[in-house]
Amino acid sequence: MGKGWCLFFLFWPVAAVVSCAMAPWIGWSFPYDNAQAASNLGIRIDGLFYLILIITAIVFIGTQAALVYALWRGANNRKERADCVHGNHNLELIWSIIPGVILLFLAIYQMNIWADFRIKKYFPEAAVKAPIAEITARQFEWRFRYPAIGKILQQKPQPDDLYSVNELHVPFGKPVMIQLRSDDVQHSFFMPALRIKQDALPGLQIPVWFEANKPGTYDLVCAELCGWGHYKMKAHVIVQSEDEYQNYLKTLTEQQFYDGLGKIAATENNSENGSESEATEK
Amino acid sequence: MRFGFSHLILLLLFPLISFPGCEQPQVEFVFAKKTKELMPEAAGPVKAALVKQFGNPFALTQFEGLPTNFGDVQATVKTVEASGADQPLIRFQATGLADSYDKLQGLPLEWTSGKGQGHISRIKEYNFETGTIAVEKSAEIDPQPGDTFLVECVRLQFGRDLYNRHCMHCHGMSGEGTGPTSRYLNPPPRDFRLGIYKYTSTKSTSKAQEADLGRTVKEGIAGTYMPSFKLLTEDEVSAIVNYVIWLSIRGETEKKLDDELFLDYSKEVFAERTSEEGGETREEVLEELKDFMEEDFPDTLEFSTSSVSEAWEEANLEDAVVIPKTARVPDTAESRERGRKLYLSEKTKCASCHGPQGRGNGTATQDFWTNPATNEKYPNRGLHDIWGNQLPPRDLHRGIYRGGRRPIDTYRRLFAGIKGTPMPAFGGSLSDAELWDLVNYVMNLPYEGNR
Amino acid sequence: MSVLNPSPTGLQPILKPQAHHAPGNFITKYIFSTDHKIIAIQFLFTTLLMMIVGGALALAVRWQLAFPWESMPIVGPWLFAPEGGQISPEFYTMLFTMHATVMIFLVIIPILAGTFGNFLIPLMIGADDMAFPKLNMLSYWFMWPAIACFGLSFTFAGGPAAGWTSYPILADLEQAAPGSGTAQTFWLLGVTFVGFSSMMGSINYMTTIINMRAPGMTFFRLPMTIWGLFITAILQAFALPVLTAGGFMQVTDRLLGTCFFYPSGLVINNAAPTVGGGQALLWQHLFWFYSHPAVYIMLLPVMGMVSDMLSCMCRKPLFGYKPMVISMSAIASLGFIVWGHHMYTSGMNPAVGMAFMVATMMIALPSAVKTFNWTATIWGGKVQFNTVTLNCIAFLSMFIVGGLSGIFMAAVPVDVYFHDTYFIVAHFHYVLFGATLFGVFAAIQFWFPKMFGRMMNEKLGKTHFVLTFIGANGTFFPMHFLGMQGMPRRYADPYLHGYLEHLLPMNQFMTICAFVMGAAQILLFINIFYSMFWGPKAGRNPWNATTLEWAAPSPPPHGNFDFVPMVYHGPNEYAVVNGDKDFLMQTEKECQPAKSQSETETTA
Repeated sequence: MGKGWCLFFLFWPVAAVVSCAMAPWIGWSFPYDNAQAASNLGIRIDGLFYLILIITAIVFIGTQAALVYALWRGANNRKERADCVHGNHNLELIWSIIPGVILLFLAIYQMNIWADFRIKKYFPEAAVKAPIAEITARQFEWRFRYPAIGKILQQKPQPDDLYSVNELHVPFGKPVMIQLRSDDVQHSFFMPALRIKQDALPGLQIPVWFEANKPGTYDLVCAELCGWGHYKMKAHVIVQSEDEYQNYLKTLTEQQFYDGLGKIAATENNSENGSESEATEK
Repeated sequence: MRFGFSHLILLLLFPLISFPGCEQPQVEFVFAKKTKELMPEAAGPVKAALVKQFGNPFALTQFEGLPTNFGDVQATVKTVEASGADQPLIRFQATGLADSYDKLQGLPLEWTSGKGQGHISRIKEYNFETGTIAVEKSAEIDPQPGDTFLVECVRLQFGRDLYNRHCMHCHGMSGEGTGPTSRYLNPPPRDFRLGIYKYTSTKSTSKAQEADLGRTVKEGIAGTYMPSFKLLTEDEVSAIVNYVIWLSIRGETEKKLDDELFLDYSKEVFAERTSEEGGETREEVLEELKDFMEEDFPDTLEFSTSSVSEAWEEANLEDAVVIPKTARVPDTAESRERGRKLYLSEKTKCASCHGPQGRGNGTATQDFWTNPATNEKYPNRGLHDIWGNQLPPRDLHRGIYRGGRRPIDTYRRLFAGIKGTPMPAFGGSLSDAELWDLVNYVMNLPYEGNR
Repeated sequence: MSVLNPSPTGLQPILKPQAHHAPGNFITKYIFSTDHKIIAIQFLFTTLLMMIVGGALALAVRWQLAFPWESMPIVGPWLFAPEGGQISPEFYTMLFTMHATVMIFLVIIPILAGTFGNFLIPLMIGADDMAFPKLNMLSYWFMWPAIACFGLSFTFAGGPAAGWTSYPILADLEQAAPGSGTAQTFWLLGVTFVGFSSMMGSINYMTTIINMRAPGMTFFRLPMTIWGLFITAILQAFALPVLTAGGFMQVTDRLLGTCFFYPSGLVINNAAPTVGGGQALLWQHLFWFYSHPAVYIMLLPVMGMVSDMLSCMCRKPLFGYKPMVISMSAIASLGFIVWGHHMYTSGMNPAVGMAFMVATMMIALPSAVKTFNWTATIWGGKVQFNTVTLNCIAFLSMFIVGGLSGIFMAAVPVDVYFHDTYFIVAHFHYVLFGATLFGVFAAIQFWFPKMFGRMMNEKLGKTHFVLTFIGANGTFFPMHFLGMQGMPRRYADPYLHGYLEHLLPMNQFMTICAFVMGAAQILLFINIFYSMFWGPKAGRNPWNATTLEWAAPSPPPHGNFDFVPMVYHGPNEYAVVNGDKDFLMQTEKECQPAKSQSETETTA
């Protein structure tokens, strides 16, 4: 009977380890096709994750194996009485110090990544100087405000600012910074592909920087409960080359100042003539 | 009393007992308040006609002549499964459905060849993987391999499923704007059944273009709980718009029929007519109603549907769109100043609602207004829209543009007004240059302190 | 609480509880009882009842995730008939909010502190009753206003829907969410009542443990259970006022027009713009200052109870008694300085996050030490595989997973990804369900004979255990993968998002497991009610355990002990050499020399 129970308790850690080992091959790992982060910082975070995963996997297998083995011995104990052991000072020291050192190492090891990621002093200078957009989260959508081409984002809205909703375009290969704010309740800016998450707090403007290293379309979702439509806050982040990004801004300008006839009257600094934009309307 | 193994099995069966609660409730499209106020003998045929033409949410029906993309799919019977005499359904495999939508349950199926030609069955079960369809057995049909049939309303069903998933909890099953979430929203979700949409590119008398509705779905309405559904594909958006317009047509048809009958056969009028002053007997009224139903009702129905359909078709034509004759007047200080004067002038009376500073607090918001539909005063101060909701004039300083922030959007709001609201159309009374001056003035208000 | 006797051994002064008489009629005996054992049983049945409610809410949540927008059994036809049974999203937010609320405030905290705290503290330290029996009764009766408030909150605008964390501004302003009106006010009131109840309990427990130990019961002779409950009571007493204050601030924000938690200029649902100068972050600090220690409040008593049960079932002394006590205290004290790890992404100063990260990493250490000690306790023991042992091993096995996944969350950069995804849902369900509830199942089985004088059914107990264990792992382990995929919590329809679409089959598997697990709990209820009346009668010490409660009759009469208990040993003296039996009760001075045949019926 006892041995059966030992096998029962052995079964599930084995199932857990097997499913974890299979995970990367059957798409249960990080999202998107190759499960790799789309930013260098994200790759560093993944590295930290895998380091912790290896350590915890070893500990998990070790402790579960020890547990099952101890149970197995306990079930087979032919002696009349159990061992009368009240403790062992040296053992206690060993298993306090070793995990302590490992944990402290982990804590210190990750500080650099965190500092690069969030502490404003270490933000890339180029990105801080010219934030590309202000992102306003509201129930239940993301609204973006870009500065006009060639201008710098101002705190207050300007007449020539460009607006879009649920579709953020950013250039890849260079660090960009956004200003995150919220119109109503708390939201959270979560881009799984870039391993970025930052809450948007009403009343505050929070700078977030990231650098996407490959073009593509990524999901932007809300990760902080913001009401009944929480799950509806879905947007796309389109990472594209600098040229395409500039083209996008031009199209956005044309669309936004469209006066029904295809002529743009409001943007003096943009000499481009509005190409046939009736099509964009229909 | 030992606890035996058989007891255990009985206990484990216990959860199964609670399964009867799992059945999906049957749903019907709701009818307008006015239909319910008709006398039962008049309401009956109206409801029957609507169900016949439009079906119910989970049993859609195709009705020719509507400007709706029903999306019929042609398919052929491949094999028929043998079924015992006591089974109520016939199952058969079909080819030709592999590329179409994968949920066809509840749709009408019209036989185009074979014994049941011209007959319409309902799909009871559908399995996309195997292509197996089950329909109810009847004497008229006898599917044989090679028979062709048409599955109707496939596109409509696609739109309905998307609508139910994304829109229904606010806008309601029938587009009546009273889904469970709608109670908590301000402004309340649109009731589609009047067929009136606020933010359109069309002239003041026209309905909305499909592109306008698609744009609203994709961009959302800033400042309200209508979120942007840019996450949907172009195809999905057009399917939703298709379904929403179909719901509108259903609602408008019902409204037209109600209007026709309401003057003579509402419960109230019936009570009046059969009272002492009216002097008619119940039988006389019923007789008259019966005559009407037999002679005029089919034509009324025909006319209602076709006039609504025509209006929707016309809205999608080129010349329904408001296009300015001249380009936007350059956004200069002079232009804005001219706009400001126009804004404050007696000619436009903008300030009476939007306030002299554009804060949305004009004198009109302090008055009691009359409901044009009932000729009664509203119980609250301020402006109301056609749906009976209180409607504050827009604060022009907030920089939130519900119908879009392009100059052309603001131009169209001024030119054609906002449908269903007291915002009037200035298209006739102001020249293009004047309209653009106003646009320049209004669109600059949010930035006055920021330049 | 008056008579101060010098203890016979000269070790302790003892206090007697406030004089109260044995109950006379039915009402004073079973309803308005001041007897700690009856109050414990009242708590037990109340929390079990609430567990049904919380479990039903959880199953409803799982239904929506597995079969999104399909008609929910019973609820669909009943509440959402015009929508074809399709629930509304705000109903879903209410479901998970109330699931968490009920499970945390009405099940886990009361079943640990209320049921086992009440029942075991006087019995295990050899006291007649609690120090303040009437306060004890009041602590139970304050549960009911709380239950009434939570119940009422369901009825207003669909129920509170801001999550159990009640984050402003969603919870703070009426216009922010459907349930943030009256429903949220009632919810806050309910939390306050639960807080009163816990506070009265914890003061009572501390007083009782410090002042009313039997002669010879020094602090380091206290059973681990008592240590767990003692430390919990201290945590509770220090952390709870902060939550109560925070809750009160939220109530004044809502009712009196203060603005602690919201800034100016927010236009929500087209209501008038807010005027204020508050900050939503303040609430998070106040809330987690309580709610992180609350996690340990929900864990430490179980750790204590499992230590005692495991040592009894392995017939072996607890390995490392003092390190266990020290690590428990370390968890408790570190528990006060790690609340910030719930807020890494909240917009708090990132540098502060580093400090919290180091503290959080370090709090994993005492938990690891405890795990090693438990394993070492089993090592070399004579393990008896009964339901109690099985549930204890399940506790251990699942606590390891919960603890290890916590390390991912402690690492700030990794947490940034996992924060508010299903990974964290997996983590706290492994701790709160995997660890705490399995510990509770073991404890119910273990102390049932003392509560009701009858043994529970082993066959039913084992079936319940197997189904629950498989169900729990099947439900909660895949959540790690959902989290890896970046599936956020609290989504009514995650499949709206392209990168989550393929997770539907996994969620369906989890839901099936959850239903198995839910159905298995029926067995627990059957077992409890069946055994209460028809189980085999238990003697004083059916498990051959050593602690004081097993020296009292089962069930103990009013006043608990029919003799004056004297304590001579530490709590887990098993595997004694040269004795006639392999254990030595705390009341026995020394063991009888090994005789030819056992005379184990000689207890007390």
